[in-house]
Amino acid sequence: MLPLEYDRSEDRDIIVRDRFDGLRREFLRTLVNPEVIEEHRQLPLGQHSERLERLLIYFRQRPLEQRYAVRAIEPFRRYQVVKLSGRRGVPPRLIDDAIYTSANDARHGLFLRCIRDLLET
Amino acid sequence: MAQIKIFGYADKISVKPGDTIQFHVSADGTSTAEAHLVRLIHGDEHPHGPGFIEEEIDCVANGTWQVEKQFTQVGAFLEATDPDRKLALDGSITLCAFIWPTWPDVGHRQCLLGRWDNDRNHGYGLGINPSGRLEFWVGCGNEIDYLQAELPLQKQAWYFVAATFDARSGRATLYQEGVVNRYNSLLSKVAPVEYRSHVSEMFRFRQNNLPDTPFLVAGSRDWHALRGHFVSQLYCGKIDRCGVFDRALAREELDAIRAGGKPPSDGMVAYWDTTKGYTDRGIGDLVIDIGPNQLDAKGYNRPVRAQTGYNWNGRNDCFRLAPHEYGGIEFHADAMIDSNWKATKTLELPETLRSGAYAMRVRGGDGEGLAEEYIVFFVRPRTPTARIALLFSTATYLAYANERFATDGQIVQPMAGQPPTISEVDIEIYENPEFGAGCYDTHADGAGVCYTSYRRPMVNMRPKYRIAAFDLPWNFPADLSILAWLEHKGYEYDVLTDEDVHLEGVAAMAPYACILNSTHPEYHSERMLDAHEDYIAGGGRFICMGANSFCCNVAFRDDEPWIMECRKTGGHWIAWAARPGEYYLATTGQMGGIWTGFQRWGQKLVGNTFAGEGFAHSQPYRRMPDSYDPALAWITEGIEGEIIGDFGLGNGGAAGIEIDCYKLGFGTPPNTKIIASSGGHPDNYIAHDEEGAHAHQGFSGTHNYILRADMVYFEAPNNGAVFATGSIAFGSALPVNGFENNVSQLLSNVVDAFIRPGPLSGSNTTRKSTAGLERVAP
Ligand SMILES: [Fe+2]
Repeated sequence: MLPLEYDRSEDRDIIVRDRFDGLRREFLRTLVNPEVIEEHRQLPLGQHSERLERLLIYFRQRPLEQRYAVRAIEPFRRYQVVKLSGRRGVPPRLIDDAIYTSANDARHGLFLRCIRDLLET
Repeated sequence: MAQIKIFGYADKISVKPGDTIQFHVSADGTSTAEAHLVRLIHGDEHPHGPGFIEEEIDCVANGTWQVEKQFTQVGAFLEATDPDRKLALDGSITLCAFIWPTWPDVGHRQCLLGRWDNDRNHGYGLGINPSGRLEFWVGCGNEIDYLQAELPLQKQAWYFVAATFDARSGRATLYQEGVVNRYNSLLSKVAPVEYRSHVSEMFRFRQNNLPDTPFLVAGSRDWHALRGHFVSQLYCGKIDRCGVFDRALAREELDAIRAGGKPPSDGMVAYWDTTKGYTDRGIGDLVIDIGPNQLDAKGYNRPVRAQTGYNWNGRNDCFRLAPHEYGGIEFHADAMIDSNWKATKTLELPETLRSGAYAMRVRGGDGEGLAEEYIVFFVRPRTPTARIALLFSTATYLAYANERFATDGQIVQPMAGQPPTISEVDIEIYENPEFGAGCYDTHADGAGVCYTSYRRPMVNMRPKYRIAAFDLPWNFPADLSILAWLEHKGYEYDVLTDEDVHLEGVAAMAPYACILNSTHPEYHSERMLDAHEDYIAGGGRFICMGANSFCCNVAFRDDEPWIMECRKTGGHWIAWAARPGEYYLATTGQMGGIWTGFQRWGQKLVGNTFAGEGFAHSQPYRRMPDSYDPALAWITEGIEGEIIGDFGLGNGGAAGIEIDCYKLGFGTPPNTKIIASSGGHPDNYIAHDEEGAHAHQGFSGTHNYILRADMVYFEAPNNGAVFATGSIAFGSALPVNGFENNVSQLLSNVVDAFIRPGPLSGSNTTRKSTAGLERVAP
């Protein structure tokens, strides 16, 4: 693991959190495979395999500013994926132009975005 | 052209034909709107159900309304009643207070107390400056003199602070001392933190007081070209006893007040004893001045009382035990309990209106998105005529009002088992604190929101709305599926609200042979709970349609039923936790939190209550052996097979979202039968098992049989009976397949039996009726 840059924030908890996060991500990356992604595509909500559950639990626990959400443009018809600001009162921002025609499709688009973040960092 | 936005609320939530109701509307981007009274029938737009259904109703208010932008004062503060301007002090002055700031580093000025005009820079004030330091200032219009402390204030620490000003010499002095004890503050004495600051300076200027500036605690007067006067420089934190003197008090005199001594009467203009006027039954909004002028101060946006004070020492846990230790009044810059908008329209409701769920539909422009508002209210009959009543859980609607937990709640995604699904109106309320929050939110300063009210737009008490966190119709819009079912089946019914039950007790329920409540009957005052118990024990037949039932204790004042107080404590499933020593409701003096803490588990009333929640996925019920008992066969008559409700608009099953279970140890009546039960919910369902108080692995759905919805039935004294579904998703299964399905069939069987006069079939008629209980239903 690379040494993290010295953090000057007052809350030392964040340093520990980020160290833990690094270890956790290292392991979670080993769980990503095409079967897991296909499983999520078929059933974004509900009980999943152990592998997929572990990934989802992690994505749902990210600090608020690193979490994504679905935005309903028109319920049951048009959805987008957005990213939360993590700052009170500041609305989520759009991350791309993709339009999904069901909430589940958008949830899967969001999941792929989380997988990408996990693999790229 | 600006985007058209329409928001509104009514002054009442429960009315009768012939009553007068006022609608308050604010509009952006338009000066006219089209209004129409509608009766609401179905509120869930899920494509597998009947969709949104409303019925337009003739009334004199229908037509074009003149509308305008209205402004809302947010923030809690106190205003002194000072008609003779005793506080317009032009000479020497002392201001003092015990304070516990929660957000000293917010980055803008917060006024603690003063008679200060922030727009015209006249008067005097003691506050916290943008660098988080105590500051005293005087102004005479063009010029202001400031004196600030040497170091920033610590958050959540009690201080005694004062400013003295000798007008003759011009000497201004700041006094700042920590009054931290072992219990009252965030840090203990092992933390090497400096609290003390004493500074002094000669001011060049003297204050000049404008005639109409109010003396405020926790804010100061401001002005805006469109709004007129309003209050800004709002403070976040607690203030305990505070006062004003017309002379500069000596350091020793201030030391004596800090030590708990009586403030000197010499020179006292006002001294607000925040612990005065408490009663065993609650605390009002008036803060008593014990000085010579009786300049009592009135709370605006309900500053939170009954909070621990500077001298709280951990021994007492309630203001009733030790009022003098509970002088803390807590202020939040984003508190909001009444929009206080001008009335846009007053309507005398037609005498011919049938009982139901209604809304004034108000549309601006094309009426799309934010340009459409539904102002919901409920109409009871002048005299009850139906045998059935549908009881809407308006207390639960209040608790969830305008919640923002999809965007702010850390716990929401893991709890919900899904990412949030956010709509335009969620973003609108997220960006604008004017909408006020609900009891699931925290204030921006981090404290939980304990007051909520319906005298402001409630965007989630509307048809069609889907809660962002769970992507479901939630509370009111989901409850309309029960109303639509009653309509579809042709039952005659009246509607009731929690407010009616709170204000009238069992008398509001007694006329009905059978009462169905809502998908989520979570919040109850003591009076509401008592009324339910008396109704059922007195022979009423009750169908608890939802889950998370009868869990939380809340309070209302009789003269302001639109405001509800909720303190969160107990259980490990609460949105925030009241601070130590702050568990009691200022409204009534009763402990807040969950009814479990009072030995009044929901099981004692309806046979089941909260097992857990998980939201993202619902399950069917499986029939249990009791359903095959010939004496109870009428409940499942016409139902084939073992599975009930493997469908639904609430995540594909009739059992789910939040689920309740049977438990003898929590007072489920011993004669209770389990007709059907779910189980095997996904692992994002976590047991809120109040008995197994220790969390451990295996608490979750696939590991734990406790996570289930039990459909229970029992007979009560005097021919009373209870049927409880144990599931929030139950109501949303009713509309599937044009209301023709086995959940709908089962509910019909129960309702038909419950409204039939005489004993229930299969009932143990030889059982003696309980003496002393009056029958309320035939
Ligand atoms: Fe709830």
